[in-house]
Amino acid sequence: MKHIRRLFRIHRIFVVQELKRMMEYKGDFIVGVIGFLMVQCSNLLFLWIIFNNIPNLLGWSLNEVVFIYGFSLIPKGIDHLFFDNLWAIGHFTVRKGDFDKYLTRPVNTLVHVLFEKLQIDALGELIMGIALVCVSLPQLQIEWSVFKVLLGIAAVFFATFIFTGIKIITASVAFWKKRSGNIIYMVYMFNDFAKYPVTIYNEVIKNLITYIIPFAFTAYFPALYLLTGENPLYNVGMTVLMSLALMSLGVFVWHRGIRAYESAGS
Amino acid sequence: MIQVENLRKEFKKTVKEPGLKGSFKSLFRPKTERVVAVDDISFEVPKGEILGFIGPNGAGKSTVIKMLTGILTPTSGRCTINGKNPTVSRKSYVKEIGVVFGQRTQLWWDLPLRETYGVLKEIYEVDDKSYKERMAFLNETLDLESFISSPVRTLSLGQRMRADIAASLLHSPKVLFLDEPTIGLDVVVKDNIRRAIEQINRQEQTTVILTTHDLADIELLADRIVMIDKGRNVFDGSVGELKTRYGQIRELNFVTDSPDPKAALDYLRHFSIGEEDVSVKCEGSAVKVRFNSSAVPVSDILAYTLETVHVNDISVKDADIEEIIRRLYKQGVE
Repeated sequence: MKHIRRLFRIHRIFVVQELKRMMEYKGDFIVGVIGFLMVQCSNLLFLWIIFNNIPNLLGWSLNEVVFIYGFSLIPKGIDHLFFDNLWAIGHFTVRKGDFDKYLTRPVNTLVHVLFEKLQIDALGELIMGIALVCVSLPQLQIEWSVFKVLLGIAAVFFATFIFTGIKIITASVAFWKKRSGNIIYMVYMFNDFAKYPVTIYNEVIKNLITYIIPFAFTAYFPALYLLTGENPLYNVGMTVLMSLALMSLGVFVWHRGIRAYESAGS
Repeated sequence: MIQVENLRKEFKKTVKEPGLKGSFKSLFRPKTERVVAVDDISFEVPKGEILGFIGPNGAGKSTVIKMLTGILTPTSGRCTINGKNPTVSRKSYVKEIGVVFGQRTQLWWDLPLRETYGVLKEIYEVDDKSYKERMAFLNETLDLESFISSPVRTLSLGQRMRADIAASLLHSPKVLFLDEPTIGLDVVVKDNIRRAIEQINRQEQTTVILTTHDLADIELLADRIVMIDKGRNVFDGSVGELKTRYGQIRELNFVTDSPDPKAALDYLRHFSIGEEDVSVKCEGSAVKVRFNSSAVPVSDILAYTLETVHVNDISVKDADIEEIIRRLYKQGVE
């Protein structure tokens, strides 16, 4: 308990520090948020154009697709907002030896890295995701229950850690290979497939994003449950399982990586 | 306090052939070889001592320091501080130590300096009362007041170094690691920093491990020197011992117009000494005689030399610590 309280405390301290830092560079911050909103709007425009020409996608209506798309942005946005520092690990922190800093402090290195930065740009993604879900909801006949709402929230929570887990594993490669920015990027980009119903893809991609890089569980499967109420055990249960598995593997690989960490000459 | 036993670190290094072709080759079939950076280093540091840890560039100093600060995992061997071992429990180990890498900073770059101390207070779980006292003490010793409200990115190097040292001392560590704390600083700032280190060591019995290339730091601060070269421990003792052990070697330099001075000057037979005590090198008309002054007095060498050959210009060089270390770095320890 004391442990968890300390974690929250450290998180708060780092977040406050980050907010202060952003206030130092207000212009940069505002441009960042606007930029992200613009990227999301262009994505939306793209969707809208497609659906104006094709009213449904293999049996999925526009509203359903928008719901899945919006849902996918929420865990992605949360991970992006809080745990974006992993990109820096892959790109330069390890290669330049700046990782030394984390190892000399009495805080778990992974916790320190995860908590240290706040990526406010991610708010663009998050707001867009919530907006899309809210817009599509009234047009969809979904039967809601307390149980379903709770499962939905749990799904978002665990889906977030699918993103984080995958980023931790790929970022850790840097401990051996000095940099892994491109590996994180390549793997992370598969989440683009997960924004649409998995049924539209061929077997290879379907299996890839379901079992190998399981981004399908960050959006399609939990959203499918919310839309239809079908098979919560698989659709949400697997999200939880995948999330726990990836985080465990991530923590394991990370700590193995630290043993292989070579710092840099100084 | 600090115990270092048989510490060893190997790195795997990819061997690349030169050029783009070599790079491609190593991409598909990388050849690796083991490089031993630190080979069986052992020493102990008692509480309250200032240890000067020296060695030429690439000797393995940083690697040792990084193992002692919990950054690198030793291939074998171990180090303990107060019985704590960084590979077993890094978090409780690093609470006992403070670390300053002169080439890096741990301060929050974009924020006023004060903010860094606020965060470190939380990270190291320093309570409010101790924090206040500590800040007052550090303020006085390192004179932070004038720039504590400025963003770190605007500090001068001297200010930044003081701020970094203060940051490493906030949690009252028992051991302070200083890696090149005076690098790139002017004489006055160097002096201030040395005085601060000495004061902290004296007042709080903080054990200090100091690496530096500025031998004045060593002469002014260090109680003891550990010197390493090619990953091995080559000297462990006080500055005085270093001087008596290696300082007896003097150098006689002169210019002569005598033909073949090397043949004419037979120091070996004249003084009946061995080759380990004297060596002669000629470069054109310049002659360099290196000899052990405890085997042959300087005056005798001088007299014999002046008698035997015609000398134009002559000088005897005394070995100061810088000279000793330069020689040791260059040729290693025989």
